[in-house]
Amino acid sequence: MALAARVNADRDAVSALVSDQRRILGRTVVRAALLGFALLLLMQILFELNNFPFGFPTWLPILVAYGLWGVALCAGSILQHGEAGWRALFVLPAILFTVALVIFPTFFGLYIAFTDWNLSSVDGRKFNGLANFYQLIQDPYFWNALGNMVFYVVSVLVQYAIAFGLALLLNADIKGRKFFRVSFLLPFMLSPVAVSWMIGKSMLEYRYGPIPRLARALGWDNPNLLGDERFAKFTVAAMDAWVWIPFMMILLLAGLQALSKEIQEAAKVDGATGWQSFWQITFPLMLPVSLTAIVLRVIFQLKLADIVINTTSGGPGGATDTISSFIFREYRDRSNVGYGTMIAEVYLVLIIIFITLLLKFTSRYMQKTT
Amino acid sequence: MRVDLYNLMMNRRSVLKGTSALAAATATGTLTAAPQAASAADDLRAQILAIPGVGKGQPTDADWQKVGAMCLDATKASVKEGEFKGVELSFLGLNNQNVHNVLFRGLSKAWADYTGAKINWIDLAQSDYNARLQQSIATGTVDFDIAEMGAPFEGDVCGKGLASVMPDWVAKQIDMDDYVGYLKAPVGTWEGKTYRVSCDGDCHNFNYRSDVFADKGLADEWAKAGNKTPWGVPTTWQQVQAVTLFLKGKKLDGKDLYGYLDPTKGWGGFAFYFLGSRATAYAKHPDDKAFLFDIDTMKPRVNNPAWVRAIQDVLDALPSEPADQLNADPGTTGFQQFLAGTGTMLSWWGDIGSNVNTNDSSTIQGKTAFSILPGSDDVYNSKAGKWETLASGPNFAPNMAYIGWGIYVMARVDADPVKQKAAWSLAAHLGGKDISLWCSAYPSGFQPYRQSHFNTKEWVGAGYDEAFITSYLKSEADSYNHPNAAIEPRIPGIFQYYSGAEDILAQIYAGKMKAQEGADAIAAAWDKLTDQLGRENQIKLYKASLGV
Repeated sequence: MALAARVNADRDAVSALVSDQRRILGRTVVRAALLGFALLLLMQILFELNNFPFGFPTWLPILVAYGLWGVALCAGSILQHGEAGWRALFVLPAILFTVALVIFPTFFGLYIAFTDWNLSSVDGRKFNGLANFYQLIQDPYFWNALGNMVFYVVSVLVQYAIAFGLALLLNADIKGRKFFRVSFLLPFMLSPVAVSWMIGKSMLEYRYGPIPRLARALGWDNPNLLGDERFAKFTVAAMDAWVWIPFMMILLLAGLQALSKEIQEAAKVDGATGWQSFWQITFPLMLPVSLTAIVLRVIFQLKLADIVINTTSGGPGGATDTISSFIFREYRDRSNVGYGTMIAEVYLVLIIIFITLLLKFTSRYMQKTT
Repeated sequence: MRVDLYNLMMNRRSVLKGTSALAAATATGTLTAAPQAASAADDLRAQILAIPGVGKGQPTDADWQKVGAMCLDATKASVKEGEFKGVELSFLGLNNQNVHNVLFRGLSKAWADYTGAKINWIDLAQSDYNARLQQSIATGTVDFDIAEMGAPFEGDVCGKGLASVMPDWVAKQIDMDDYVGYLKAPVGTWEGKTYRVSCDGDCHNFNYRSDVFADKGLADEWAKAGNKTPWGVPTTWQQVQAVTLFLKGKKLDGKDLYGYLDPTKGWGGFAFYFLGSRATAYAKHPDDKAFLFDIDTMKPRVNNPAWVRAIQDVLDALPSEPADQLNADPGTTGFQQFLAGTGTMLSWWGDIGSNVNTNDSSTIQGKTAFSILPGSDDVYNSKAGKWETLASGPNFAPNMAYIGWGIYVMARVDADPVKQKAAWSLAAHLGGKDISLWCSAYPSGFQPYRQSHFNTKEWVGAGYDEAFITSYLKSEADSYNHPNAAIEPRIPGIFQYYSGAEDILAQIYAGKMKAQEGADAIAAAWDKLTDQLGRENQIKLYKASLGV
């Protein structure tokens, strides 16, 4: 409270150095720009609603006007507040950018979610209340994809275990440690799209791919890794793991390197075995890093789409489908913008709830263990 | 050889040829201009077909450039050199490997050099194409001047006034009268105006392995298995099913044999055509133009007994098809399976025929033949609600899937006469009569679509085996000219219907739904979509597209 009061006092003091004339000019610039932008926006909205004869054929001029209003706002802020205005420039463009590209699309998306908007419809966009939501609740493809997401999210724990093992290995005093660190990071540097083509479309190709051929040589007659429901989900999860394990590994490795060596050496002196040392010292100390890595990875995992779209299109029979790939098909192939947006918004809410609960749970767990 | 050297050589050759012709005419005192012109045109067609020559490897960018340069005379007759200097055109099309836009780049280079125009290419993957186009149309953000587009989108584009009307000089330059019958109006037109330069003429034909059906050992086994008909190429879907089940577990030259190949994985809506090819013989009655929807109500027919039988056929055949079939889209069945030697029978567009001898990855040269799609012993009469056996024999109904690619100029160029002329000139160049022959004969993504493409001698001259090319061209011509051809509706959102069906079909093929149950689900989804798009408008456009 005291700090805030002091900051305000400082700002007032700095602003006091600005002449009244300049302050009035600044205020005029800000107000004129706001008025101009608001009028332009109102005109375009009325034009789009067929209530005004003048307007632009597209919304691009409004975007340009928004940019100009932003510039005027920054300039006006400097004129009004002097040094404090300059300081505001550090965050004002970022705020305007976030409003334009994150906040506005989110709220506009919310509106779209409550409309019946098919790009081929002669009637264009129509408000249809909760119809899209009711459709979603009854949509078996949505629930199937959501069920698959549970599997993909759980698979993060397996990825974590492998990543931890690799991190321990790379933290040990082994030969060629630097080489292995870079090598193990390589898959993470590749685009998942490239991985799905290189591995999914080439190495796993049923007839000529080296992996099915090797599997046949080893006696597996039908190594149909992406065409058989029983294996497809695991294969997609494995490709995804190949890309993302290095990400977890590097986080865990950083955590391991930050651990105090003294505790481990003390345990060794006290006669702890390697296994005891890991379970009773390393693992508990690594819990904060581990949980951060898992939570981050879960957030990424909930957006899984690229590998699925490229290798299986969600099949066979929806076995590998994810919510994102389902949205992709609904929006892209069927131009069903209203319903696709509703799925995306509902999924966003589900993710927020899930991640909030996850963070709450991990936070409580951490409090207990410490 | 460098293209410029090649061009120089060709020009010198033309000059020498012209000089000797003139000398001959002077000597005889007779000027037979018309026959000479015809002869020159024939020479040109023979020359371009020799680039690179069938069996001499896959054409490269240098080959495309040569062909484009040699076919420039029609442009030169209507455009002055450098006339379009400063004009920039954006061209939206597909980026499939070595075909479509990739090919157009090479073919249009000489045109751009001569006219001075600059072309900016907007390349799209096949599976992204529909969505991108639909989005541009719906949001009024047409950011391209020319589009490579299929006739099914004419409802969306021409119906909304987004396309430029074809000038008369273009119609003359490209000789539209040469188009096969089914590509003439109403295809390419909207409310009596012409919008399209055709560069393709789509239909699914039946591709089969002639060596399999000529094999004596298999014929003996077929007879031993108790089959009463002789071993041979199936002409009905009932026979296709029998052959597919029979070939399971059989081998030829040590390789596993498979019968028919069904693409079961979605392909942005394009995979639905393959179920359509199985269904049209069952569902397209000769007395009824419609086969997908009832004309008066847009009630889907996809869950009627004919379509359900086709779906059931796929389900029955899948256990006899390659094990990875559930993850095979049409591209996989055509190019990774059939061209590479897996599978005996396949419905596909004409690309298979033009790739068998010219694609480096093909392993089935000399082993392939073609026919129109198989027929059916009986056909479902949707109006009467019963199966009928026709007195004329099996019912055939070739699937005119996609009605071919065309080049459409967008209305946004109309404001600038120079740009408009440039855009139409480029469209006319790429859809020109001679260039189209070359595109039909080599991998291009396009198949024969002009009457002049069906001159077998020209193909044989290019190096094609006569029996092979006769079989191929006959299958195409017989499909185009068939009186009971199944022509798809040119209505807005048609690919949304197909794409929605693909998702449900994937469930059926994976065994999660019965054929009838799945077909009912598709019909329900289609009904809902029709309501969403505007039923009355869809009915009106459907009738217009069928010419009723």
